[in-house]
Amino acid sequence: MIKMIQHFIECRNISFSYEKFSQVKFSYENGKEVLKDVSFKTDGKEAVGIIGANGVGKSTLLRILVGLELNFTGEVLVEQIPVTKKSLPEIRSKIGYLFQDSDNQLFNQTVYNDVAFGPRNYGLEEEEVEKRVMKALGTMGITHLRDKQIYKMSGGEKKMASIATILAMEPDIILLDEPSIALDPKNRRALINTLNSLDYVKLIASHDLDMILETCDRVILLAEGRIIREGITELILRDKELLEAYGLELPLCLRGYQGRKR
Amino acid sequence: MGKLTNAVYEIHVLDEMAERDTGINQVHPLVKLIVTVVYITCAVSFDKYNLLGLLPFLIYPLILFELAGISIKSCIKKLKVVLPLVCFIGLFNPVFDHTPLFKIGNIIITGGIISMVTLIMKGTYALMASFLLVATTGIEKICYALKLLHLPSIIVTQILLTYRYITVLLSEANAVFQAYSLRAPRENGVKYKIWGSLIGQLLFRSMDRAGNLYDSMLLRGFQGEFYYARSQKGSGSDYVYLFSWLGIFIALRLINITGYLKVFF
Repeated sequence: MIKMIQHFIECRNISFSYEKFSQVKFSYENGKEVLKDVSFKTDGKEAVGIIGANGVGKSTLLRILVGLELNFTGEVLVEQIPVTKKSLPEIRSKIGYLFQDSDNQLFNQTVYNDVAFGPRNYGLEEEEVEKRVMKALGTMGITHLRDKQIYKMSGGEKKMASIATILAMEPDIILLDEPSIALDPKNRRALINTLNSLDYVKLIASHDLDMILETCDRVILLAEGRIIREGITELILRDKELLEAYGLELPLCLRGYQGRKR
Repeated sequence: MGKLTNAVYEIHVLDEMAERDTGINQVHPLVKLIVTVVYITCAVSFDKYNLLGLLPFLIYPLILFELAGISIKSCIKKLKVVLPLVCFIGLFNPVFDHTPLFKIGNIIITGGIISMVTLIMKGTYALMASFLLVATTGIEKICYALKLLHLPSIIVTQILLTYRYITVLLSEANAVFQAYSLRAPRENGVKYKIWGSLIGQLLFRSMDRAGNLYDSMLLRGFQGEFYYARSQKGSGSDYVYLFSWLGIFIALRLINITGYLKVFF
């Protein structure tokens, strides 16, 4: 019998602070509690936007979900598997994570080798690897970039290739950290269309509220490490007072052009 | 400042050369690695005064430059950082070794001069052969060849990651120095007083970037071992290439070709 998963991601009372003398992270946040008692779950294959001002813990929350930060308190379940050091290989085979900066995601010489990196690590035959790479590149509409040297690519191309690297692993869930950052309008539009065409559980952390409005079913508003509000995207993103109280603004498309204020 | 941008660019150009489709690029990486190692071993094994024995070894890089379509000029340009070091090491030989070997007109050529020239030649040969190996094979395939030789995977991975992180370090250094120079337009270099904080900044940034890259690898199933592009099987032409060069190197090492050529002059 096939087990139906209702909640692909479930967080129960997550709290997290960076260690004071962490060896690997040199962050201004050292010692500060970044997340406080955060609980939420995804419902079916939905797209959830995580919004909030700078430094409220959006990226940290995503890093916890893939086990890049493990010294949290509370419980994180990915497809009902608790995120622990032991379960990381299994968890990471189910989740694709998109870094904010594509240069952190892409480290091979060519697009093909980078997209093939994940499937090869999971021991797939080279024929299967090629199939997956071509499928991922096809989904992102970048098959023509297959053999392109990564250093020669534009920011938009790099972003598309970065998403292809996670699609090639055929995850159930994808986490995207500021995916539209540094994209020009054309590439941003292509990204939005692509995200809407992907049938995965999606968690998108972003300041780009217009993009969140177009891609997410539900939104979680974070402030000072806590969930302030959670609900249907349009309801939250139309609430001007709420957004402004927590350092955000209405999405541009809902504001209307009022001329330049002098 | 522009030097750092150039350095990053040069590394990318080298990677790009390795991705080309020339005949020499298609030769099995293990074959090219063995040929290079044997070539360097044979070249450096000559006696320090055996200048004439070394000369014919120039044939290997010359043929490879032609086959790979790489200009010698571009190679020399890339090696100009290391070549002075090689020259510097040999520079003291004429000071310490005064053994007269022969005369050209009235000038006595000492053992020190000849040993200096042979040392420079050996260094240049080794550097050119290594450059040609990287430029026609690529670091990933070289690492694949090292794995075929059963070198411990931890060492192979270290070599690969070191190569990859060089560009990360250079890019970060470039960003830091560019930011500095834009706010210190009247200075030619970096003030010695702020070298400390600048280097510290560079270290932190590089570690952070390297950490992010490593995270990205872990998230895609990396468990300490690289799985390289499809395994390449040796073909007949690979064997011909291998044994031809090995034959030539051994012949040049054992037979004094230049001695025979003297008969004609």
